[in-house]
Amino acid sequence: MKPFVVATDKALAKDFLTNFADAVGEPKYLNILQDVANRKIRAVQIELDDLFNYKDLDEEFLQRVTENTRRYISIFAEAVDELMPEPTEVLSADEDRDILMTQRVDDGTDAADNSDPLQKMPSEIKRFFEVYIKAFSKGTPLTIRQVKASNIGQLVKISGIVTRCSDVKPLMQVAVYTCEDCGFEIYQEVTARVFMPLFECPSNRCKTNKAKGNLILQLRASKFLKFQEAKIQELAEHVPKGHIPRSLTVHLRGELTRKVSPGDVVELSGIFLPIPYTGFRAMRAGLVADTYLETMSVTHFKKRYEEYELKGDEQEQIERLAEDGDIYNKLARSLAPEIFGHEDVKKALLLLLVGAPHRKLSDGMKIRGDIHVCLMGDPGVAKSQLLKHIINVAPRGVYTTGRGSSGVGLTAAVQKDPVTNEMVLEGGALVLADMGICAIDEFDKMEESDRTAIHEVMEQQTVSIAKAGITTSLNARTAVLAAANPAWGRYDLRRTPAENINLPPALLSRFDLLWLILDRADMDCDLEMARHVVHVHQNLESPSLGFTPLEPSLLRAYISAARRIVPSVPRELEEYIATAYSSIRQDEAKSNAPHSYTTVRTLLSILRISIALARLRFSETVAQSDVDEALRLMQMSKFSLYSDDRQRSGLDAISDIYSILRDEAARTNSMDVSYAHALNWISRKGYSEAQLKECLEEYAALNVWQIHPNTFDIRFIDA
Amino acid sequence: MVGLAYDFVANPLGAVRLSFEKAVASSPSDADPTVAFRGKDWGAIDLFRDFLFEQGGLSQVPVLDASTHKWIQPNTLVRFRGMVQDMLGNEFYIGACKDGPTWRTNKFRDLSSFPMPPSCETLLWERHLFHCVPVPGQNSWTLESSPSPTARNMSSCLTFQHREKRRRDGDVDAVELDASDGDSSCSKKQKEDVNPAFVSSSSNDWRNHNNVSEPTKGDHAFPENTLSCLVKVYDMPESQFKLNDVIEFIGIYTFDPELVITKDDSDDMMYDFMEDAVAHLPSSKVPRLHCLVCKKLAAQDFPPSSHAVEPLPHVVKSIRESLLGHLTAVLGNDGLAAQFLLLHLLSRVRARVDLITVGKLSLNLTSFTRESVSIFGNELTSAIQNLLPYTQAIPLTVEYLNTATLQPRKDNQTGRLVMGALQLAQGTHLTIDETNMQCGTLNSKGVENASLLKHLMEWQTVEYDFEYYKLEMAADVQLLVLSEGKSNILPADLVLPFRPTTVSAVNAGAEELQSWRWYLATVRSLPSSSEPEISKMLENEMVDAMREDRSLGSTDLNRLLTMAQLTSASFGEKSLSLENGEGVGKA
Repeated sequence: MKPFVVATDKALAKDFLTNFADAVGEPKYLNILQDVANRKIRAVQIELDDLFNYKDLDEEFLQRVTENTRRYISIFAEAVDELMPEPTEVLSADEDRDILMTQRVDDGTDAADNSDPLQKMPSEIKRFFEVYIKAFSKGTPLTIRQVKASNIGQLVKISGIVTRCSDVKPLMQVAVYTCEDCGFEIYQEVTARVFMPLFECPSNRCKTNKAKGNLILQLRASKFLKFQEAKIQELAEHVPKGHIPRSLTVHLRGELTRKVSPGDVVELSGIFLPIPYTGFRAMRAGLVADTYLETMSVTHFKKRYEEYELKGDEQEQIERLAEDGDIYNKLARSLAPEIFGHEDVKKALLLLLVGAPHRKLSDGMKIRGDIHVCLMGDPGVAKSQLLKHIINVAPRGVYTTGRGSSGVGLTAAVQKDPVTNEMVLEGGALVLADMGICAIDEFDKMEESDRTAIHEVMEQQTVSIAKAGITTSLNARTAVLAAANPAWGRYDLRRTPAENINLPPALLSRFDLLWLILDRADMDCDLEMARHVVHVHQNLESPSLGFTPLEPSLLRAYISAARRIVPSVPRELEEYIATAYSSIRQDEAKSNAPHSYTTVRTLLSILRISIALARLRFSETVAQSDVDEALRLMQMSKFSLYSDDRQRSGLDAISDIYSILRDEAARTNSMDVSYAHALNWISRKGYSEAQLKECLEEYAALNVWQIHPNTFDIRFIDA
Repeated sequence: MVGLAYDFVANPLGAVRLSFEKAVASSPSDADPTVAFRGKDWGAIDLFRDFLFEQGGLSQVPVLDASTHKWIQPNTLVRFRGMVQDMLGNEFYIGACKDGPTWRTNKFRDLSSFPMPPSCETLLWERHLFHCVPVPGQNSWTLESSPSPTARNMSSCLTFQHREKRRRDGDVDAVELDASDGDSSCSKKQKEDVNPAFVSSSSNDWRNHNNVSEPTKGDHAFPENTLSCLVKVYDMPESQFKLNDVIEFIGIYTFDPELVITKDDSDDMMYDFMEDAVAHLPSSKVPRLHCLVCKKLAAQDFPPSSHAVEPLPHVVKSIRESLLGHLTAVLGNDGLAAQFLLLHLLSRVRARVDLITVGKLSLNLTSFTRESVSIFGNELTSAIQNLLPYTQAIPLTVEYLNTATLQPRKDNQTGRLVMGALQLAQGTHLTIDETNMQCGTLNSKGVENASLLKHLMEWQTVEYDFEYYKLEMAADVQLLVLSEGKSNILPADLVLPFRPTTVSAVNAGAEELQSWRWYLATVRSLPSSSEPEISKMLENEMVDAMREDRSLGSTDLNRLLTMAQLTSASFGEKSLSLENGEGVGKA
């Protein structure tokens, strides 16, 4: 490194710091420096983004900064030294450090003639700030695996999970000694992890006097830095199949300490450096050089939808998808594409991911927006697979089983800290999944204590605890996705659904949608499956799906974009929803099925599902079609439970469809029913389009109505 | 030194160095030669390849194992077969440094052969670290040139013998005895290669240390008297080896019992994070191997290839018959069970598609009683041991489930992967004896273990615990369950009541055993292909079967298809033939 280069680069750094203006035209770094001078902050974070956006950007300078970052930190620090403004606020000067500094300045004038380098005060000790250079915020971070020998000395960005953290220890930056003989302060800069303390005064006076003055280390005058070590490990999704996650040592200094704790998923930018071994270790280690990451910035990984940042062309892709009319089906099919069928279940799960906004009324009452779904069914119908897949798609998801693996269980527990003997509150799965999704497998095998607590979680979305003197309530704003087995392991068709479902009604009514997935013998389905299995065995690959499922990342991006929208229910629809709700209540009162529970909660569910559907369309208002689809899903979920009842009821499907259409026509007082409307109505009741067509043909043949040959619109022939 | 330069076995480092010097000399002087060699080979590997495979040097290279490592000299060429138990990531080392005007390389060695000037120009190179152990459950017949094969039947050596001290004492003797044997280059080389600082430490000293120091933490899962090895692989594409692969390494062996670490080194307080996994495998305990040539091993690499390479149909058929006869005899004349066992032994995971694991066929032999297990169970276990390269047996009891460590787990304190009983090489056969199961309560560990076993049986994957998350690792384990009734803990693909009629002593000749081993290994590895018409036929067959019996589910279909494929493979056919498919449809 030639001094010439350092000088020019320092000039460049100074120029950048003084002249850089952010988006609003404020001199960002001068403001920071002013804050530093006023002792408000300590960290001066220089962002490469800013350097890149700087108007007089020197490309080579940027390149040099990224490739030899450590050197440029000191260059920037020197630049900051020179630019440091006077404090604009009065500082209380009674701190040790300040007193020492004033003393030193006085001394310095006395001994100005002294050219001894060890007696010159290093700039390091005067600094009240730390310089960090932050990597580009754009661009995907590297995995630990991708950091190679060629990255040494460079600024890299790495993502990983923190597995271990050391205590924060003081690290000596400048050792200060005083000489017993001459009384001078001697400074020693420490750059490595170990240093050799000085014992003999090197000052000119002692040397000429041959006094060999005894040096005493002044701990109060020395400068220390907070220092912490941590280990990060590769994230599960970055580990190639059949490999073991790698780990990397990370050094955190100064302001960056205590930013991470074990278990955090973080994105770090820092300088990848080798560490030479010294002394005995060098012999032991032989030729090996250890490496570590000198951290420059710590970012906790965004795990919530609200903070999801769209990458690259995702915005564009989402817009393209939103224009596609069939997005609802497309998204639903892309959930767990390897699981065959179950389209309506997947739709329900998609809506669970999207959810509705939380409402807080003026009187403080909260109405939850999360949609809870319960999947019930025979063993071996891929319930667990569905659950796990949803957790993978959700940015924040916790998968657990009803018999929680740790002592904390599902909700929360007060535990005694083994070290300090203090009582600490530890959140369970539901608390950890706050603002996310909690998938609970084996829901029916839940412990009794959790079962009572889950009532509160599912409606009030908090966990209250009153144990060991701790009375508190924790937030658990989570959407619950439960999977349960029927009471006797398998669904017993001879018993009523209520007997099969092994859950109390109070709990059941809290689920917006309840699906029963049965391993029923169905000829078409079975044949399809047989073909699938044979194909897999013969060709060792799965047959093409007939569509390309969307990538989970895109799915996540789309859902996060959809979640930003807060749709409202227009006034015109209020009446419609009210009628629909009351008719469901009426139906239930008429039927002799004692095991369905339509309550006010059902009404809220309808609203929630409709809003989620509107969000998927990126629409600010809920449309009637949304409500229809919501009603259809609820009806289908009911039919998955009571489909046998339906078959037993006197009316066959065709005549039922006819009566629905007739009723609707009578209600609207018109003779014309458009095909789209008809389809909406019948699908709400759980009938398919094929059945509608069949019905239309049959009754047209009876001259009950006329069908428009092109649009299939219906016109009743009044008798 | 120059004259003996090409003694590859005794002085491989000499060859490495000479070839490096040659390469540096021959490269154009204007380009920096060492930069060009980063991550590349300069011709040393080719030299060794040529020696090993062209000049037949392979047979001269000793095999490194627990018994031979007593007398193998450090810095010589050895052969080592092991399973990748842990991957310790990569290591940066000073690959080359400029000593005055000349470049010297440190590749393939732990310590520099010359004192490095403190401020010389150095280059950092990269190498990969693998911790390898002998394959769990490796059977004695697969070991090569082993002096006493009976002593090292791995499946039976679960006794924790503390042989550390004895081995060390023997070590010294062996070195002295070998002094006459080892040529002069050996002793010369030692002087040259080992930093003088270490030679000075007396042998007495390190022996004391060894007696004091405890067994390495985290290694308790495997017996003390097996030899694990830290293999350093150079210039390898990132993903060549996977966890649990069985690999044969040929490389330079280093072992420095002199380098003893005092654990309570207070100066190391600052370093406790730098102290990586490697520090828990001190070079005084775990030998290092600097790999020159390596090869992934498959099951068929084990039996000596005495047979024709191309499996001829009539040969295969006759071997199949004799093997079937043998199995029938082992199983007390139960022909059906023997048939199923044969298919079971031939099964292997061929693919994983979505939620279907194609090709696995676990077998559950029921109706065992305690008496019949003692007769037939042992007979069966030893028969399988003689046929397959890797076998393990788990006696399933409540106590075992509650105490055993089945799940491999990452210890973030030491940075090591702690081995569990289910960390097995691909293609291992696992016999689970459930007959001793009693009533009892499982604790949380027991439940976890049971679900781990169940998961392995259903999906052929094992979840490894990485503390903050779990990773599923693909496994390929043939599971055989022996139980009284149908095992509910471990739902096997095939459940068959076992009905022995006679008890007969079974003896098999060595030659027969050889041919059976060859047969099993070869047939298992046969690729299967299928023509569209057969596929069509099968599809119809399955659909018909489903029409007839509506209770057939996808699992049944999977099983039938696997059996059909295995049956045809057992005759040495590559594609599913019509009659076999039909036969299965009726079965």
